[in-house]
Amino acid sequence: MRYEVSIALRYLAASRKRAHVALISTISVLGLAVGVAALVISLALLSGFQDRIRSQMAMRSPHLVVSPVRGDRLADPERVREVLAALPGAVSVDPVLEGRGWLCDASGRSCLPVRYRNISRGPLRLSGDGVAPARVSAPAAVRLGAEPGSLLRVLSARTRLSPIGPIPIAVLVRVAEIRRGSALEKAPDIEFPEATARLLSGVSTGARAYEARLADPQKAELVARVASSRLPGGYRVQTWRELNAPLSFALRLEKAVIFATVALVIVVAALNIVSNIALLVFEKKRDLGVLVSLGALPGSLSRIYLTLGALVGLIGTGVGLLVGVVASVLLDRFHAVPLPADVYLLTHVPFAVHPREVVLVGVFALATAVGAAVLPARAASRLAPGEAIRLSR
Amino acid sequence: MLAVKASHLSKTYAGEGAPVTVFTDLSFELEERSFAAIMGPSGVGKSTLLHLLGGIDTPDSGRVEIFGQALEELAPRERARLRNDRIGFVFQFHHLLPEFTAEENVAFPHRIAGVPAVEARRRAAELLERVGLKDRRDHRPRALSGGEQQRVAIARAIARGPSLLLADEPTGNLDADSAASVFGLLEELHRERGMTTVLVTHNPELASRCDTISLMSREGIGPAPGSPGRN
Repeated sequence: MRYEVSIALRYLAASRKRAHVALISTISVLGLAVGVAALVISLALLSGFQDRIRSQMAMRSPHLVVSPVRGDRLADPERVREVLAALPGAVSVDPVLEGRGWLCDASGRSCLPVRYRNISRGPLRLSGDGVAPARVSAPAAVRLGAEPGSLLRVLSARTRLSPIGPIPIAVLVRVAEIRRGSALEKAPDIEFPEATARLLSGVSTGARAYEARLADPQKAELVARVASSRLPGGYRVQTWRELNAPLSFALRLEKAVIFATVALVIVVAALNIVSNIALLVFEKKRDLGVLVSLGALPGSLSRIYLTLGALVGLIGTGVGLLVGVVASVLLDRFHAVPLPADVYLLTHVPFAVHPREVVLVGVFALATAVGAAVLPARAASRLAPGEAIRLSR
Repeated sequence: MLAVKASHLSKTYAGEGAPVTVFTDLSFELEERSFAAIMGPSGVGKSTLLHLLGGIDTPDSGRVEIFGQALEELAPRERARLRNDRIGFVFQFHHLLPEFTAEENVAFPHRIAGVPAVEARRRAAELLERVGLKDRRDHRPRALSGGEQQRVAIARAIARGPSLLLADEPTGNLDADSAASVFGLLEELHRERGMTTVLVTHNPELASRCDTISLMSREGIGPAPGSPGRN
């Protein structure tokens, strides 16, 4: 062990015997620990929510979407379907058929404009009477007074010729499911089977796009590259992350802002470390002069206080990380912060500890603590040894 | 050969009010292996002179040569090495590091020189035995008497086998018996190790046991009446 480290360790241990320095150094270590713990818990809280949002994103969004670069129809939809179906980990491949129209109650007295599409996930139970089942969004169902089992009429913006002239294409559907709204997706107002969607949209073959779901959504980027390499030019392959890029960016931005804000506690703790070490430099001026008389270099004096800053940083960061991680795990395991289930989709506030973030907080706190020691350490290295000894007599 | 050659030294400290000039145009020489005492009233710059000779302070003007090597020509690293290897300091108030044991204090010069901790402590233990403090090696300075503290400080000063020992009133803070004992130890070590020793003291009796006595005043430094010294 270098002698600079021995001295720094001894200063840290010995300072406990001097009440004023002990108080200041304890405050320094505690301040850092509190800041680190607060940052870890804040990030765990945010990660808990964001992980749920991301998993919902992965669950509700198609994992891969292949669409034409230009136009609104796929040039070779069958080829696209085959390529997607042959991808490693592909679970399902569905065409995207969507359009706009009107949704009316059975009496036709109440109508509203809607966006429709074929069912993107989960089959709908057939009603048994030959009427196509539909999944209706909760707001649309409320406005039309529809309940599961209600009959609704969908009118397409397309028309067909009749003896009395062009009339809109209309389809009768039975409400099989009312879907609760989510801010995470731009969900259509109504979904029904592919055949109904084709009839309303007038797309008898092909599709506007094809979407695939994967067994592991985390491999979407990798699989997307495979799909791109197997498809000719003129197709755009997007992953669920790209489809939700604005939301992903907002989540990352939110985390960065929280990190920067809570990290200010660590910066304040670092200021404490500056004052603590500066006080110690002043108090140990004579000893520094003596060390110089024994042959120590100014750089060595500086290293003593940088080491001290690192030690304070290590203890404070270690304690803070331990408290933060343990608290986050316990808060999550015991559902310590409940949420009203009828208001939120969650029953409790989730906490998720990401090792990468813990390491980031640790490195930041440690670097800040050592950085805080730089100023007093430089002051120590500039000490005039003769004067320090002369004035301490 | 000259162990110490200080020529035309001037030193002024920036005081709280006006600058304080300690001395101007002061010259001092000392033969190798001599045991020299410097006496003089307080405030004439005896300690400052030792600091300049030891390279822990720099003169405003003038030149200091230690064993023919001009300190001003040395880079900071070389000057630190010279202090570590060839110069030993003993201060009036021992100036031991209070957080460390006697043995650890004496081991510091070795640790600074890069000697591994275990070896440094072994050598320190030998030195403490030499100065009669074998049983006090694990004591912190505050657990030692004034005389013992100064013995530890002497052991620390000679740890690296210096050629020049600069002792600034080493007995000034001790009772008569302890002072005699500490001075006796310095005499023994001086003879035993062939060092050049410069001793600042206010005690005429102790000074009289040195090879030379120099008298320092506001006007400069010179041999005391009846002293065989060069200055």
